[in-house]
Amino acid sequence: MDITLLLTSTVTLASGIPLTLLLTFASLLAGFVLAVPLSFMRASSRKWLSLPVLAYTYVFRGTPLLVQLFIIYYGLGQVGAIRSSVLWVLLRDPFWCCLLAFSLNGAAYTTEIFRGGIQAVATGMIEAAQAVGMSPLQIKRRIIFPIAFRSVLPSYANEVISLVKATSLASTVTLLEITGLSRKLVSETFAPYEIFLAAGVLYLGLTFLLTGFFNALEARLNGAPRAKAHTRRVALQQVTHEL
Amino acid sequence: MLREPAADHGIRAERIQKRLGGNDVLRGVDLTVRPGEILSILGSSGSGKSTLLQCLNLLTVPDRGDIWVHGEKLAIRAISQQGGQARILDHRQVRRVRASMGMVFQSFNLWPHKTALENVTEGPVLVKGIRRNAAADLGRHYLAKVGLSDKADAYPRHLSGGQQQRVAIARALAMEPRVLLFDEPTSALDPELVGEVLRVMAALAGEGRTMVIVTHEMAFAREVSTRAAFMHRGLIEEESPPQEFFSSPVSSRLRGFLASHR
Amino acid sequence: MDGFVVQFVNGLKTTVLLALVSGSLGMALGLLAAAGRLSRWRAVSAGIGFYTTIIRGVPELIIILLIYFGGTVAISAFFGRYVEVNAFLAGVVSLTVVFGAYTAEIFRGAVLSIPAGQIEAARSLGLHPWQTWLLVILPQMLRIALPALANQWISLVKETSLISIVGLTDIMRVAAIGAGSLRAPLTFYLAASALYLALTSLALVIFNLLERRFAVPGR
Ligand SMILES: Nc1ncnc2c1ncn2[C@@H]1O[C@H](COP(=O)(O)OP(=O)(O)OP(=O)(O)O)[C@@H](O)[C@H]1O
Ligand SMILES: [Mg+2]
Repeated sequence: MDITLLLTSTVTLASGIPLTLLLTFASLLAGFVLAVPLSFMRASSRKWLSLPVLAYTYVFRGTPLLVQLFIIYYGLGQVGAIRSSVLWVLLRDPFWCCLLAFSLNGAAYTTEIFRGGIQAVATGMIEAAQAVGMSPLQIKRRIIFPIAFRSVLPSYANEVISLVKATSLASTVTLLEITGLSRKLVSETFAPYEIFLAAGVLYLGLTFLLTGFFNALEARLNGAPRAKAHTRRVALQQVTHEL
Repeated sequence: MLREPAADHGIRAERIQKRLGGNDVLRGVDLTVRPGEILSILGSSGSGKSTLLQCLNLLTVPDRGDIWVHGEKLAIRAISQQGGQARILDHRQVRRVRASMGMVFQSFNLWPHKTALENVTEGPVLVKGIRRNAAADLGRHYLAKVGLSDKADAYPRHLSGGQQQRVAIARALAMEPRVLLFDEPTSALDPELVGEVLRVMAALAGEGRTMVIVTHEMAFAREVSTRAAFMHRGLIEEESPPQEFFSSPVSSRLRGFLASHR
Repeated sequence: MDGFVVQFVNGLKTTVLLALVSGSLGMALGLLAAAGRLSRWRAVSAGIGFYTTIIRGVPELIIILLIYFGGTVAISAFFGRYVEVNAFLAGVVSLTVVFGAYTAEIFRGAVLSIPAGQIEAARSLGLHPWQTWLLVILPQMLRIALPALANQWISLVKETSLISIVGLTDIMRVAAIGAGSLRAPLTFYLAASALYLALTSLALVIFNLLERRFAVPGR
């Protein structure tokens, strides 16, 4: 292991961070904007609203992101109508294809996460809002969604972390984000340990920062941090202790 | 029908029926609440008290029957023979009517992500379009009225049950409603916290407000109500001023009920 | 396209085999890691915590690339000439390492959510610690872990597609070859999606059956 190479490649790969972050946050934003209305449709008791959304989330969560990305990047060009449309300007660009794939994929997961939170909101909260005369839209915006979002924040945080990691697939369609740069560097130097480790360190840094951010957000939104399962652990350790 | 019941004021419900999960929960209830009246509704568990109360502001839509609130007939479509659900026809009207009737729930139902003050001001801001500053003043006024000036910035989870229920009362009051509906407001409280809520309610009663109170607190009902009603199996079985109601009940079931709740 | 049916069938076999092998090994690793994580030996617990945290914080693709190219460098150095690591083997190793980290956390969470009273009850009945583990903790832990395990297995099936990047001829790679040679990428990648969707649906069905089989009445 060459420590100097590890350090210098960390610095080189750091220039891929902006693209990784751009891909992450842009898809995060788009995924969120899509997921909010979709999750309400998915939570609806009306079948004609919920079933199409279920079909979407089922397909996007049931197939690999890599296939989705390749369908968008390589596949759509096979359709003449798309090639000749104005959208082609965007769809032949790997960046926009990644953005589209990551947003649609992330939105599918986020929709199901939000749906769970929405359905778990106590009916009493909604009745109290109806009783003061709020409109259905006001109730969704001001009562249901904020309560649901708080309750699913840990799952949503995991989803965001997954998205950071998912952006590494952008390297398969020639983008030079952290992973793309590291693959390029490895093919030039053939020092995979140092370079992929350096890339791993950068991703760890990003995921740690995000985890910290979400922990702080959770503590802020929910008051004091939740008590840990301390007593159970103690009982368990006694069992292990006697083994 | 040509007659205009409870012209202008109060509430009138006629022949209210509701079936829930295969049970005939309400079986043709008639109920009148005149302005300034304090009506207590008593009855054993499952007799339909909550359902009746929820029908008055259409949190539950009755299958059949008519409801007038402040002289305005609520536009609802009855259940159809083909099994079509009963439903609200005029949502704007219902929101307007709900805003004029404050409701207090057994389980408080405060919004957990909002402070006490925000719980109180949310309705005035969103429904009445009052500006945030003015609403905050209004909210503080009503929090003071229920004795919780110092808890404006506390979140519900940091308040005791009695305090939460008082915030819920302030939330109802801040809409400046013409009628207050209470559904067993003290049933979920520890015994030592019941008094603080009943005192607030007694004070409201003393202001000449119109109130409908579903309760199991006999002494309180006898003290503050101007009229009491006894529900049994989806019907109002007996209805009279509190003296008669509690001292010389007619129906044997009410007698039994009062004896068992002494 | 006809000739590709056979290739897709072979690719499907490879994908399924890869998922089953690395999933089984990964679960075994996860169980061991969870036990170690819950143990009283601080160093073991901390070491395993380090492993699961690191693995879950780094993209699977990086781990795969590291193991594949790193392995190639190591073996080439060993033999003194260029030897490429078998892609299937690299896939098994990397997916096992990843799956083990995630399932370790699932098992650990499941064990911690067993009410302490049950463990105390088992102890007060005079059960040996290993009996407590085997008869009380393990069965319940597996049942509690089942929904999360289902998700993890489905993720695993999808992650196998990443091994195609280092040359494994799985569903994904067959699709890529077909897409290139017949100039019909949409057709081939849609076919690949359908196969993956069938596999993940199958995993879902199996886990639903398991959950129903091991459900505790009234829960
Ligand atoms: N959504 C529902 N589905 C099925 N049954 C219902 C539903 N809501 C209420 N019921 C039934 O209707 C009956 C009356 O309910 P309601 O809540 O109005 O009674 P209540 O008089 O308020 O009783 P309590 O004193 O327990 O609050 C009960 O038997 C209850 O089980
Ligand atoms: Mg009730």
